[in-house]
Amino acid sequence: MFEAEVNPEDITSAEFVVAIPSYNEADSIAFPVQQADRGIESFFGNRKSVIINCDNDSDDGTKEIFLGIRTNTPKIYISTEPGMKGKGRNFKNLFQKIVDLEAKAVVVVDADLKSITPKWIKHLGEPLFQDFGYVAPLYVRHKYDGTITNSIAYPLTRSLYGRRVRQPIGGDFGFQGELAQVYLESDTWSEAVANFGIDIWMTTLAMNENVPICQAFMGRPKIHRAKDPGSDLGPMFRQVVGTIFEMMIKFCPFWSQVKWSKPTSIFGFGLGETEMPPPVKVNKETLFQKFQHGFKSCGHILENVLQKETFNKLREVKKMDTDRFDFPTNLWINVLIDFAVGYRDKVWKEDELLDSLIPIYLGKTLSYVRKTERMSVRESEEFIEEECVQFEASKSLLVQVWNKGA
Amino acid sequence: MAKILVVDDEEHIRLLYSEELSEAGYEVITAADGHKLIERIETEKPDLVVLDIKMVDYNGLDLLQEIRNKFYDMPVILCTAYDTFKEDIKSIAADFYVIKSFDLTELKKKIATALETHIPSS
Repeated sequence: MFEAEVNPEDITSAEFVVAIPSYNEADSIAFPVQQADRGIESFFGNRKSVIINCDNDSDDGTKEIFLGIRTNTPKIYISTEPGMKGKGRNFKNLFQKIVDLEAKAVVVVDADLKSITPKWIKHLGEPLFQDFGYVAPLYVRHKYDGTITNSIAYPLTRSLYGRRVRQPIGGDFGFQGELAQVYLESDTWSEAVANFGIDIWMTTLAMNENVPICQAFMGRPKIHRAKDPGSDLGPMFRQVVGTIFEMMIKFCPFWSQVKWSKPTSIFGFGLGETEMPPPVKVNKETLFQKFQHGFKSCGHILENVLQKETFNKLREVKKMDTDRFDFPTNLWINVLIDFAVGYRDKVWKEDELLDSLIPIYLGKTLSYVRKTERMSVRESEEFIEEECVQFEASKSLLVQVWNKGA
Repeated sequence: MAKILVVDDEEHIRLLYSEELSEAGYEVITAADGHKLIERIETEKPDLVVLDIKMVDYNGLDLLQEIRNKFYDMPVILCTAYDTFKEDIKSIAADFYVIKSFDLTELKKKIATALETHIPSS
């Protein structure tokens, strides 16, 4: 039977909320709930707290598992209407609940986390009681994990909005309760935001609100349910990148004035030796083939979206074989600039335009893999930092191209 | 004229940075350690801090964290003789870092960029 809310202890107010969004997470939600409960007890014992599961009306028993877990912290289950899916929709329900509860601080963690500890709750939550409005996670990730973050989300948001937030789509984060109202009232909500665009949307809005942001070091790598990158990439890529481009349109007056970038405060060290992330295998040949085939099948779109010079350079890259393959960072920056402008000007059907960027992104990923294959995690981080500086140095070009096309 | 606070426990470094950065058009003030650094920043209001990582009695990365928590957007450039400090996660709270050298070209470049950085208020 569908229930929009189950609130067994009739909780009507809370100072601190730990929220866990879900869809069919019956087999995994128990662990993060237990860790959250321990985190709340150990570090926020003096604050009135609640654990909220915001769900997409899962049909695998997520609700029953969540409500059945024995915790010292009270729990509330909320759900979207039957058939209404999307991570962002879960968050919309959550924002309203936070406003209703008048919560001061909210920590969100993924339902399929296997590496979460009670200290994650501490590190994501504590800064919110010390003047910080938004807390982004800082994990040690394998150099081939999170390539959308490494190639697009991090360098673009950093150069656009001037804040160095390494994991802007991390999935585990904290925000002050006051921000929930800002999110509810924002006129930038979209279908992409209602799905996987939600994380980058929340981070970007926080940056544009000039909310003090810090990053919390989690100490452990993020280990969660393994996903097949091939099957997941399309919708997630479209929703994340589409949201970034949408926000560029909306917040142009802000980002066009930003020069270079600022670091953030770091919380959460002192966790002992940092655990290294598990290796991520990458099939270079598959990336190469997908780049080649995608370039061929999307050539007509690329020719419309990209400036002639950029398209020609991309054709030169296409001619390289796997062993010599090199996708220059400046070319990647030019591709993203042209796609952002093309998206704004609707030069092609939105979904097809975003899909045509995927093979180019896979080519860029292949180049990154080749350049960093002998590097340690730290060295590859420095490589990404250098790329970010190139993004920032190209900001004036972005502003110029953006204004020219407007 | 931008005011730069140089924090370093080596006197010859403080002298070198003072001379060169003054010649480059900056007002330079110095501190030999991290003692009452936050108070000093509060009263002297520098536009940027150049901070040595390894001082005899102070860890520059801890000082960086103190500065960052108190002065959210204060530009801080870390100076070090070795780049092993990057293994410490706290180092990413710095705007930039430079490897110590008698040639201050890189430092001056980073100072200029850090002072040029701009994020408008919403």
